Amino acid sequence: MDARLSVKFNKVSLEYPNGVRAVRRLDCEIRKGERVAIIGPSGAGKTSLLRILATALRPSSGTIGVLDTDPWRLDRGNLRRLRSRIGMVHQAPPIPPRQRVVTAVLAGRLGQWPAWRSLASLVYPMDIAGAERMLARMEIADKLFERCDQLSGGQLQRVGVARVLYQRPDLILTDEPVSAVDPALSDRVVGELNREAIERGVTLVASLHAVDLALHRFPRVIGVRAGEIVFDLPPVRVSDGMLAELYASESRTVPTQDNQTLETVPAGVRRRPMFS
Amino acid sequence: MRGAHWAVVAGLVAATWASFAYLALDLGQLLTLEAQAQMWKYVVSFFPPDFSAGHLSRIGQGTLETIAISAIGTALAAVLGLLLALPAAGRFGVVPRAMARLLLNFLRSIPELVWAALMVIAAGLGPFAGTLALAWHTTGVIGRLFAETLENAPAAPAGALRLSGSPASLAFLYGTMPNVVPQLIAYTLYRWEINIRMAAILGVVGAGGLGQMLYFSLSLFQQPQAMTVILAMLALVVIVDGASAWLRQRLVH
Repeated sequence: MDARLSVKFNKVSLEYPNGVRAVRRLDCEIRKGERVAIIGPSGAGKTSLLRILATALRPSSGTIGVLDTDPWRLDRGNLRRLRSRIGMVHQAPPIPPRQRVVTAVLAGRLGQWPAWRSLASLVYPMDIAGAERMLARMEIADKLFERCDQLSGGQLQRVGVARVLYQRPDLILTDEPVSAVDPALSDRVVGELNREAIERGVTLVASLHAVDLALHRFPRVIGVRAGEIVFDLPPVRVSDGMLAELYASESRTVPTQDNQTLETVPAGVRRRPMFS
Repeated sequence: MRGAHWAVVAGLVAATWASFAYLALDLGQLLTLEAQAQMWKYVVSFFPPDFSAGHLSRIGQGTLETIAISAIGTALAAVLGLLLALPAAGRFGVVPRAMARLLLNFLRSIPELVWAALMVIAAGLGPFAGTLALAWHTTGVIGRLFAETLENAPAAPAGALRLSGSPASLAFLYGTMPNVVPQLIAYTLYRWEINIRMAAILGVVGAGGLGQMLYFSLSLFQQPQAMTVILAMLALVVIVDGASAWLRQRLVH
């Protein structure tokens, strides 16, 4: 695999045991440091794609390369080391409700810390300052010592993002990371994810429900429908017709934050208003 | 349907009559004046209870011993039960799961009193035998309850941690334990409550504590002393029930 690539899909298909084909013979390459948004109607296979990238699902056929290796040829120890370099923000943050926010964030580095440090951290959090910095970037530093069941859905999602920021992975994957966050904050959270990727030169792949966020914040947008890539373009070249067709099966309008029509022009980019 | 009901009732009546006939029980004997006078005499002989300082201090020691037996027995069982619950919940595959379940069933199916009789032979008379007896049986019960709790715990949190490179053991501690700890504590306290009552009885087979004092007093026909032991047991159970309920409330929420 080319050393400048972060992700390489080679004719990847994924079929679930119930017969649903979520991904169909998909080819795709993502270079190191690229920031890619994946958009498409629900059920298009966005989550399946991300879960294949996160090495949570093994493709039914085809080969994948993630961070210079084929994860399914590694032994357990090396797979674990690879996984500690991949950070995934889940749509529903899988955090125990009774856990304190600080512990939930520090858990991001369990794959990197020595075991004694992880065990000690259960008794007394080992890096309170580090967790607080990441939470501050999500504007919830004041929740540091609260229990996660005291948080709103949007706040919990941001704890999930803070955990992955704290993990400092080489490949950041996010599965609709702001679906429960209000628009102004969504922009901030997605902005922070992009800033992290730019500052550290790491790769960011985000599936997003809100098309305007994808178009405004990412230099490369991949449209997915029925397990296949429909287009793979910089946002300037994504036309309204393409978007309308991408979401044709779902609704008459393209999903955006607050369901406002997609008219705001991103800085430096001129585009026609939607559905004029 | 109705006919079947009557058949069941008739069967029960017949079985009861057959039992009396087989055991040669004569309920009438309980109702004779002589028997009633004897029973009354025996009841009266328990009063007044012996509240002398010497006896009370021995009862205090016996109470402490009973509490200690139940506490150590339950604590041991909680640790062993958690260790066995992990394989019994299927975390290490199908074969260890079946083996652990078999072992838990074995431990659980032998009652505490039988364990105590066995442990008195193995470890000698005294509190050590009682502690072991409670530990074995309670391990069987608690291990099963813990295993079910672990099986019902959501898998996503630990799964997400393993996906970010965490070793499975740490993913369990960070992802699964916070979800199950309240339930484990509640089960353990509940079993402790039961075990205190049990520990008071185990002494009858020689396993220490208040039970042993009760058994000695009754064997020596010292009914007033026995009455004080019974009162101490009653007080202990009432206090422990209250304390356990209060603790569970505080710890679980």
